Amino acid sequence: MKQRVAVCAVAQIKNEPDIWYQRFQGMVLECFESIVAQTGVTFDMEKGIRNVVTCSDDVFDARTISDNAITDVVGAHFRGEEKSCQDGANALGYAMASILSGHDDVILIAGHCKESQPESRRMCTNLAFDPFYSRPLGLDYLSAAGFQARAYARKAGITEEHLARVVARSRVNAARNPFARKNEPVTEAEVMQSPLICDPIRYLHQYPVTDWAVAMLLCSEERAHEFTDKPVWLTGFGNCMDSYFLGDRDLSVSMALQKASRRAYSMSGVDDPGTAFDIIELNDAYAYQLPMWAENAGLVKEGEAAKWIDSGGMDRRNVNLSGGMVNGNPIMLGGLARALEVVLQLRGEAGERQAEKAERGLAHGSTGAAGQHHAVLVFEK
Amino acid sequence: MSKPTDDCHVVEGKLALPYQYFAGRTGSRFLISLRDKKKIMGVRCEKCDKVFVPPRQTCERCFSDISDNWVELGNKGTVTGYTIIRYEEPHQPIKPPYIMAQITLDGADTPITHIVKGMPLSKMKTGTRVKAIFAKKTTSSIRDIEYFRPSDDKPAFELGYTYDELEVGMSASFTKTVSESDVYLFAGISGDFNPMHLNEEFAKLTPFGTRIAHGALPQSLIAPVLGMKLPGLGTVIPEITVRFRKPTYFGDTITATGEVVEKIEKRRWVRMELRWTNQKDELVAEGSCLAIPPVPLGK
Repeated sequence: MKQRVAVCAVAQIKNEPDIWYQRFQGMVLECFESIVAQTGVTFDMEKGIRNVVTCSDDVFDARTISDNAITDVVGAHFRGEEKSCQDGANALGYAMASILSGHDDVILIAGHCKESQPESRRMCTNLAFDPFYSRPLGLDYLSAAGFQARAYARKAGITEEHLARVVARSRVNAARNPFARKNEPVTEAEVMQSPLICDPIRYLHQYPVTDWAVAMLLCSEERAHEFTDKPVWLTGFGNCMDSYFLGDRDLSVSMALQKASRRAYSMSGVDDPGTAFDIIELNDAYAYQLPMWAENAGLVKEGEAAKWIDSGGMDRRNVNLSGGMVNGNPIMLGGLARALEVVLQLRGEAGERQAEKAERGLAHGSTGAAGQHHAVLVFEK
Repeated sequence: MSKPTDDCHVVEGKLALPYQYFAGRTGSRFLISLRDKKKIMGVRCEKCDKVFVPPRQTCERCFSDISDNWVELGNKGTVTGYTIIRYEEPHQPIKPPYIMAQITLDGADTPITHIVKGMPLSKMKTGTRVKAIFAKKTTSSIRDIEYFRPSDDKPAFELGYTYDELEVGMSASFTKTVSESDVYLFAGISGDFNPMHLNEEFAKLTPFGTRIAHGALPQSLIAPVLGMKLPGLGTVIPEITVRFRKPTYFGDTITATGEVVEKIEKRRWVRMELRWTNQKDELVAEGSCLAIPPVPLGK
């Protein structure tokens, strides 16, 4: 029998362009209090939370050991605490490992990021590059994505029209998600006319600057009934780090996502990712990434992403009903936002955007230059 | 009534930390070679048959130690991917817009990322050949290559049409208005101070009734055709014959035209017909020449 971990509760604040009037501690506190209210979980050292996994980025917070700013808020003093400084999907992976290994049975996860606070988020990601060969040239995540967007689009036959469809559709879906960043609806023509910022990436192809916080409570299968009547089961997790140097990789494919997803599928017993999922949430920080991730996660046959978009595949497969990353989630939290949507859908709590049948879902997170690191999660009802 | 944004104060801050990054012994060797010898070095993994740049101590695929397998790479390479940076940020080394490219240097298997300048942004495409331009002043960093610029790999000197490229029927022309000063300069160049060209009162007594240009002056207008257009740069003219049909008056606009009429296979020369006409389309002169088209330099 496959091992599984229960997601007992999820909580979030609304994604906003600039929550200047609230500290991220306050943002996380709202989520944390919601988790306590939903589950009645305590910090009792016998039966409550003994371990917390946080997710934050030191440079975006402009302080090292950025979890130090949040540990008191999430009750992590006097107990175990660990920080994920990859995409937050990996915080779920840590929690899962901790529970399945028997190390602990109740884990709180909390993530935060305010992209609005640094003068430029691209200055932050410039610091993710080595100081010898890459950083002095001004590389950042946007310019790295520019290379990949061209390489992938050319290989896959993805056109301006496909990208425009991804963005326009994301705004439509996000309008049905009360926690999504509020953006003006855009037409496909407006997307195609928006200025090029990093060819072939246009202004509207990139995710907008966003502030957000999120929390989740996970526990072992045996204890789920103590906290919820509607557990969602995390049954598969896989992640993979690609080569660092952009030149060492074939940017038109994501070997790391191929490996991460296959590990998650194998753990969860998914044989055919092409049909296994009722809900799919992909971390599309840039529009080209939605078809690229879909292909490399094996959700769409290799080379068929363009055809898949043309034939309405994104709607048919319930991809990014949340609005997706391209509508606006902060860096590091994209994977947690994807996971949160899958959990809401499987619980039947997705409101206006609720999918009819939602029994198994995939959530994906990614960080690093041109998707260097990927994490894939499988959830089941 | 108090608002949620009352008593909200934002503290301005800045993270800045002077720092010394040790480049590692492999990285040091790369950077020192770039700085002192203007040579770009890569490392080869024999087992994977792959040359990596930037260099690294260990091959990440087979874990072989490759730190001593240095290979000197060319300072030219081929663009395998690119983007155009149009957004402006403080961390950028130059002001946008500019091209960032992935460049596979000659002799390397993995491309490096660098800036490309010296070509219109819209003309960049994969496959473009570029060469490294080294910085005048070293910063002991990757920016000792200041940027790359297009290297068309053509010879330093351009040449006109070779014999094989020339076809019967190809033609070219040059047009110029002949002025009084042209005639006076030509008199000085040739030493021909015949008053027919220089003295209006004398010229009134001649059959032309006014000053005319030296015949060799319009004739010389075929030189830019043969030497610069057809066959073009590198051409030698061993023979030229001209018959003058009408005088060239001051202010006349002369068009000199050459047309290939015969390819002389045995000598690999061409014969050309030459015509000079004025602004009234009157034939001023006609003739022919032999032309030795350019051969690739150094051959």
